[in-house]
Amino acid sequence: MARAWLAPTLLFGPALVWSLAAGLGLAWTASDEPAWADLERHGDPVAGSSSCRGCHPAQWRSWHDSWHRTMTQQPARGHLAAAERALIGPGGATGQAGVLAPFAGEQLDYGGFRATMDRGDDGAPRVLVQRLDDAGESVVGPPVLDVAVTLTVGSHRYQQYVAELGRGDPAGLGTQPVGATPELWRLPVAWHRAEQRWIHMNGAFVEPEGEPGSLPDYERHLSRWNDNCIFCHNTEPVPGRGADTPGFRTRVGELGIACEACHGPATAHLERHLGNPLRRLLASATPGTDGSIANPSTLGPARESEICGRCHGQRIARDIAKVMRDGDGFVAGDQLADISRPIFADSTIEGAEGLDHGRPFAARFWPDGTPRLSAYEYQGLLLSPCWDPVGDDGLGCGHCHDMHGATPDGQPRAGRTGEGACVGCHSPDTLGGAARAGGHGGHAALRDHERSVDCVDCHMPRVTYGLLEGMVSHRITSPDPAALLGRADQPDACTQCHVDRSRAWAAASMPALGLRGSPVDPSAARPEEALASRVVLDLLGGDPIQRNLAAHALARPDATGSIEARMAWIAEGLEDEYPSVRWFAWRGLRSLVEQLDPETGSDTTWLPSVNQSGKASASGREALARAENSWLPSVDQSTNASASGREALLEALAQFDYLGPIDARVEVITRVRALVGPAPLAEHPDLHDRLTSDRWGLAIWIGE
Amino acid sequence: MSADRHLRASIALVALFLATGLWLEAMYGLRAEGWIDDPLRREFLRLGHAHGGLLEIVNIALAWALERLNTPAGWARKIRGAALLGAALVGLGFMLGGLLHGPTDPGPPVLAVPAGAMLLLSSLVATALVKPED
Repeated sequence: MARAWLAPTLLFGPALVWSLAAGLGLAWTASDEPAWADLERHGDPVAGSSSCRGCHPAQWRSWHDSWHRTMTQQPARGHLAAAERALIGPGGATGQAGVLAPFAGEQLDYGGFRATMDRGDDGAPRVLVQRLDDAGESVVGPPVLDVAVTLTVGSHRYQQYVAELGRGDPAGLGTQPVGATPELWRLPVAWHRAEQRWIHMNGAFVEPEGEPGSLPDYERHLSRWNDNCIFCHNTEPVPGRGADTPGFRTRVGELGIACEACHGPATAHLERHLGNPLRRLLASATPGTDGSIANPSTLGPARESEICGRCHGQRIARDIAKVMRDGDGFVAGDQLADISRPIFADSTIEGAEGLDHGRPFAARFWPDGTPRLSAYEYQGLLLSPCWDPVGDDGLGCGHCHDMHGATPDGQPRAGRTGEGACVGCHSPDTLGGAARAGGHGGHAALRDHERSVDCVDCHMPRVTYGLLEGMVSHRITSPDPAALLGRADQPDACTQCHVDRSRAWAAASMPALGLRGSPVDPSAARPEEALASRVVLDLLGGDPIQRNLAAHALARPDATGSIEARMAWIAEGLEDEYPSVRWFAWRGLRSLVEQLDPETGSDTTWLPSVNQSGKASASGREALARAENSWLPSVDQSTNASASGREALLEALAQFDYLGPIDARVEVITRVRALVGPAPLAEHPDLHDRLTSDRWGLAIWIGE
Repeated sequence: MSADRHLRASIALVALFLATGLWLEAMYGLRAEGWIDDPLRREFLRLGHAHGGLLEIVNIALAWALERLNTPAGWARKIRGAALLGAALVGLGFMLGGLLHGPTDPGPPVLAVPAGAMLLLSSLVATALVKPED
């Protein structure tokens, strides 16, 4: 009898025991309340992105490739031998993880000071700032800054550097308060990735030049990392500034924007899933119900967008003292409004009632409330008609953006760029004017070489400035130039592409395209629009952000108007008193010159007899434009194209430094102007002077 | 299970798991959603295809070995059943685990894989150890 059971027991027994154990384990796990319940995670420590990699390798990889990861980095440690340092040329890469700039002895003279970026004996990146003599040639006196870089901030557009300056040590004892962490400060120079050069931070922010030789002006953008930069550039930041203890007790969960910035602390999640593998196997049966972690993709649009809005929407904490002491305590999935309110144009803060007519943030928004600076994307979404303020059926960030997609720049969701962003809800066949040539809006490509204008071009125009770029507005709107007719304080979507047109022309074109808009009152048009395009008028007489965006618009590849005409116009920006405007004008002019045919030095793509937008009904509007804008033909014929002229322009522009001394800039501008033709409104000097002098009253100071 | 039935079933299952290879290849060629964009599913379907096919070939070898070693009929019948079931569970456990997977791990059917592996391992050990006189 015993032998009869031997074979089946030995053969089938182990498998049977395993199957019973696995079945019982599954049943126990499925019915175990703690394995499924929502867990309280506020105050939980951060586990770190490396702990996510084992189970989520694809998501970890896409995050690792993102700009979020490199938002704050610690320069890799390691001694660079003198021989290695000698090999690093001015444009060479150091190979030092986390550091984009060479730090090989580069120098940047600006505002009466010379910054030298090199390395200390231990190979650590170092920034040395010294005062220049009156001639601007030699350094004088002791260094005003001589610091080793502790952290780097950013890496996509430009990289900023953070160092310990000893400024948390007012007594000058060389020590911090007991138990305190050092105060770290953002340095006044940054590495501009696109141009592979050093810039002073004044070149990136919308502020006028400082007084040459003024140290306060030079250090205007020194910013304490512990209670400023830390917030949106790190995971679970805690400034650690308490009212009852001196100094900072600063800490972050992880440098940079890592997994737990969007998913919340993962320690409880790890305990739950590493402790019981059967819980992981059962996850397929109940997707999205794991209460130990937040998954933004399973949250509604409001909660999901608030995770992004925590940083991509400047806000005011409800309890600033608490945030400065303990951090904001936000965990993904929380209601953001519980801890902060987003800044809008009419937002106020206690103690600032008397500033800027009680609207201290108004300069960051266009007059209609649309944000005009980056890092206000969340506010743009909240102001959009696609947002659902009551229910949770509206648009969320995740509709167009995918944090784990394949494209780090802008992180678009696959298939959701251009028209793809909108057609899921707005069928192109049912939109106004869909049946006409060119479809809704009349801007579909009608010729082979043309790019079809898509939804984003018109409904999310590039009227946002940030990080030395013109960016799309995240307030989704319908173009309505007629509503802005007679005003010069806000750009409209149409003339940001039709840079050679007036706003009156744009307003008159709307009914012709079968598009809705405000009633057109031709008498409301500003008289100067008969003499120059809207964008050119903005470049001359707008406020600094308008001028930045005007220069950016004039250089866009799909802007209308001949390249030669745009070159003559945009060169005006080289003379601007704001470095950021000069940067846009210089980069834009260089881009336009490079687009000229190298053989003839002329624009071979522009067809002056046909509206650049190539619409079937262009002739009527063209006639209207020519009737209204008598300046159009004369500007188009203003340049005398030649291949040598193209080369001379490129050579001159190579010598232009938008942060350089004014004498050198004037010399280059004189050469450029001689090559590109007369400045806009050259035949109307009084108007030109009035516009450029009036803009002094529009000066704005937007640092952080 | 008779020797003939074991051999025929093993060959049939080899054919079945080889056929899944055609299916996987077709999904790759057609860039099928849920295959191309799902590495976890891809990995486990491949594991199922490969293990299922190879372990059924092991069953064919086992069928030959049981005849060659004159394993007693009582043992041989049970060894054949366990080996055939084990190979099928390993292949199907991988494939179903991949088809029904969660965010980070395969689905519960993957628990059949260890059971199948134990069955097959026991069968091989028994084939090696059991003598004609046992």
